[in-house]
Amino acid sequence: MSKQTIEFEPNIIGFLCNWCSYAGADLAGTSRIQYPPNIKIIRVMCSGRVNPMFVVNALQQGADGVLIGGCHPGDCHYQQGNYLARRRMAILKQLLEFIGIEPDRVRMTWVSAAEGKKFAEVIEEITEDIKKLGPMKKIQRVNVW
Amino acid sequence: MVDQKLLVEEAKKIIAQEDVKYVIGYKKGTYGFTISPSYAYTPEYAEKFIFNPLCAKNLASYPILEEKLPLGRDEEEDIRKIGIVAKGCDARSLIQVIQEKGLKRERVVIIGIPCTGVIDPKKIKNMFPNAKGETDVVEDGDNYQIKINGETNEVPKAELLSDVCRSCESPNPPIYDVLIGEEVEPPEMEEYKNLKELEEQSIEDKWAYWEKHFERCIRCYACREACPLCYCKECMVDLLSPQWVRRSVNISENTAWNIMRAYHLAGRCVGCGECERACPVNIPLMELNKKLAKDVKELFDYTSGMDLEEKPLFGTFNPDDPEEFIL
Repeated sequence: MSKQTIEFEPNIIGFLCNWCSYAGADLAGTSRIQYPPNIKIIRVMCSGRVNPMFVVNALQQGADGVLIGGCHPGDCHYQQGNYLARRRMAILKQLLEFIGIEPDRVRMTWVSAAEGKKFAEVIEEITEDIKKLGPMKKIQRVNVW
Repeated sequence: MVDQKLLVEEAKKIIAQEDVKYVIGYKKGTYGFTISPSYAYTPEYAEKFIFNPLCAKNLASYPILEEKLPLGRDEEEDIRKIGIVAKGCDARSLIQVIQEKGLKRERVVIIGIPCTGVIDPKKIKNMFPNAKGETDVVEDGDNYQIKINGETNEVPKAELLSDVCRSCESPNPPIYDVLIGEEVEPPEMEEYKNLKELEEQSIEDKWAYWEKHFERCIRCYACREACPLCYCKECMVDLLSPQWVRRSVNISENTAWNIMRAYHLAGRCVGCGECERACPVNIPLMELNKKLAKDVKELFDYTSGMDLEEKPLFGTFNPDDPEEFIL
């Protein structure tokens, strides 16, 4: 009798901006492009809305990775939200790395509303990466109710 | 070496001004090596003012903490100035607060002190655990002359100097209204403590290091209370809805709090070391702050608290910011 091994399926939270990345994900869906189902999408109005605490809290509450999706630089619906988000995430990644949390768990991407294919590719890449990193145990909450 | 007489004299002059409410300075503490902050409302009070290498406390947190009571019907707001004795790093934290519009420049009178480094209170307490009664510390070249009840001990400066003072960027206050004495030569800047070694460790080793420290955190928030730049009226950590950080003291919540604290000071921390001095369990918080200051400098070429006109780091952007990490 062969022993069944259960492969680790990561939980990924995606904060996607309403105007580009979310529409890109929508396009991937309507174009019936296959991509891993590990991503759980939360729509935000702009990638600049993503507080670094969202990321830390997601990691605490059982996410193995976090993706932040915004418009391409210069295309932000609110002119500068994605530029501000880029600065914040650059620093957050440095901090996480210094504390000893793999910085690759937090990813950022620019996906426009027309890039359904790119969105699928990005998700595939991230899922692969986080599968390699394994489950996030370091700062997970123990007493979740 | 700061001329104490000159300090008292200048402080007196400033208090005597019509438009000054009070001056905040240092006075001798009640016992041992303690130093306590002192408010001088009249020139006589300023007699008590001292400055010696034990005056490590950053006084910049006091003008912001001032309680503002609601005004009565015909009352007018007291907009008199506040005088403050400021070393290099204290003046920088004042600049940072003024930059963020937490305080108005015209409301503070800065008595600048060129600083040659302060003593770490924890280190001196370890060296002389039983020092009570009359104490005095005088800086003498590369040594400190420490007098305890008439007995003089000579201790090399390097043994007692605060870790943050070794990598001090601005011993002279960048802004001041009066400067006590001459500006000092900035010492040779060293890399902060073991920052480089830590950075080169593997991810697992880093986590082992920080896990050990964060586990001990009792979440008393002394680091927040002592910090001159943690002056939000409502701290995210105190919010109940949404509750960002739960109250339980465990590794998960402690790490979240420490990430939050360090992150909120990214590009704002001026490196006075007040958080680490306040920490009752000796978590090396300055390592986090210094690391972020270094990254901010490298990535965005930004130094906090140097220029009154500068815009906050996270409120501005440059289209050419680094983005290698973006997919």
